[in-house]
Amino acid sequence: MTDTVIDVRDVSIALGGHSIHRGLSLSIKRGEVIALIGGSGSGKSVLLREIIGLMKPDAGHIDLLGQSVWDCTPDQMDALRRRFGVLFQDGALFSSLSVEDNVATPLFEHTRLPHALCRQLARLKLDMAGLDPDAVHKQPSQLSGGMRKRVALARALALDPELLFLDEPTSGLDPISARAFDVLIRLLADSLGLTVFLVTHDLDTLFSIIDRVIVLSEGRVLGSGTVAELKHIDDPWLRDYFAARAPEGVVHGN
Amino acid sequence: MTAAHAHFDEAQDALLASGDWHADAAPALPALGGKTVRILDGAGLTQLDTNGAWLLLNAARPQAGDPLPELRAFQPQHRAMLDLVVQHSAPTGVQPAPHREGMLALAGRGSLAMGGHVIGLIDFVGRLFLELMALIGRPSRWRWREFGAQLGTVFVGAIPIVIGMLFLLGVVFAYLLGSQAQQYGANIFVVDGLLLAILREISPVIVAVLVAGRSGAAITAQIGTMKVTEEIDAITTLGLSPLAVLVIPRVLALLVALPLLVFVGDIAGVLGGMLVTQEQLDISYPMFIDRVVDVLLLKTLLVGLGKAPVFAIFIALIACRMGLTVTRDARSVGTNTTSTVVQSLVAIIIINAIFAVMFVRLDI
Repeated sequence: MTDTVIDVRDVSIALGGHSIHRGLSLSIKRGEVIALIGGSGSGKSVLLREIIGLMKPDAGHIDLLGQSVWDCTPDQMDALRRRFGVLFQDGALFSSLSVEDNVATPLFEHTRLPHALCRQLARLKLDMAGLDPDAVHKQPSQLSGGMRKRVALARALALDPELLFLDEPTSGLDPISARAFDVLIRLLADSLGLTVFLVTHDLDTLFSIIDRVIVLSEGRVLGSGTVAELKHIDDPWLRDYFAARAPEGVVHGN
Repeated sequence: MTAAHAHFDEAQDALLASGDWHADAAPALPALGGKTVRILDGAGLTQLDTNGAWLLLNAARPQAGDPLPELRAFQPQHRAMLDLVVQHSAPTGVQPAPHREGMLALAGRGSLAMGGHVIGLIDFVGRLFLELMALIGRPSRWRWREFGAQLGTVFVGAIPIVIGMLFLLGVVFAYLLGSQAQQYGANIFVVDGLLLAILREISPVIVAVLVAGRSGAAITAQIGTMKVTEEIDAITTLGLSPLAVLVIPRVLALLVALPLLVFVGDIAGVLGGMLVTQEQLDISYPMFIDRVVDVLLLKTLLVGLGKAPVFAIFIALIACRMGLTVTRDARSVGTNTTSTVVQSLVAIIIINAIFAVMFVRLDI
């Protein structure tokens, strides 16, 4: 199956009189692991929020898994929401629920399985996300940043979505945890056949696990392709962006 | 999309699954009634996700540690999904859910928490006193701007609600008193009773309750949110004291605002009573005012106003302390804000009772 799972056509939005997207279009095929990059304020998060149905664009169409996000009945939207998972930047865990119940919540709400069974499935997801089994009864406030991200990933995977959205999955993690998280995302994407759409600033993520990078600039898609292909695009921001990775062996001072 | 289906073949002890298997497919599982599944057959499967794979495996071997059944005729991608799930459903390492506490234990914990609050408050007062001592010699370190801003919200913002509440309470109280006094022809004494009740008890207590609900809760929520977003830590790291920057201006603002609000409440309450006595008891406004001038003792007013700063200090201390003891999650802000209001109300009632007994003993 190589159909298009995300199709964004001519989307425009202005926030507070400031134009964010001007006729932005992109499309993503099933099974791709895509990274969206762009300077601060280039509207990466706004685009993500438009695609997952949290923010309505002023103009344009967004189709997700073959269905329009902004022209559908609430029931259709609910059915659509079951088919994608979102990892928010800081995890967005429900602070009044235990780790296990956080992950089981989508199952409680969207399936008719008994709660005990939902919790067992939640543990499976937590184990797949690489969380220590000792942590399942903890409260989110007792977790470290890396663990919160893993719990949030498990929650995003709870209903076995076809599509996974990740907002800066490695921000706030130390390099070791960040690389481990990258590997985990790639592993899950491959083994579960997920399409992954992630917003990131992390160059190491781009170089390691991404099939295709989409660059956002001045409200449009500046270019898309593998990292090697993007290096040929002559754009000052993009050049600075790839140059920002500190070369190894640089000696400070003299 | 094909519906999930599964049936148990008794001859081979095989569970044959077909269709799309996902989380909603659970009802399609046949009742096995303790029979052992030796073979899991996936020839008819069209789709399988991790939830579906787990359900099938769980049906085939209810105990995670049991040996796996033979997996037969699975397509490679479905086989990979099953392997992934087997790998991640380890039987060990999962502890039972923490023991849920009974009502008695919860009540006991609540009582202990109350005791803890009393000790915590004493500790907080001590630290605040030391901070005040350190600040007393350095007027430049006082946060006058913060004090002014707090006074604005605590005092000016509360005036309309205080006037509204106390006016209505004055009306109600005068009605009740008037209907009793009328029976004895003691109409004019309604003025005496009204003044005593409003000035001495009703206005200070009601205004303190309003301020506890309005400003006390706001202070806890604000300081608590600052704690969650690490603003308090930032203040400390900049070499400033959160007590000097946040707590002392708020305590002083409440200390100034509450007596002023009580005075505003006194006037509103008496005006409400005046309206009713004229309507119900035919006491004209000039008569009412003459009577007030005759019977009003300065000490009645001062007793009411004098209680206000004491209430204010307790409300401010409780609110600030609960704000600073918030832990880093959203629920904690909510529970601490609730706790502020409850503790403040309890403190107001207790202090008021102590004052009442004290004034009687001292013949005031």
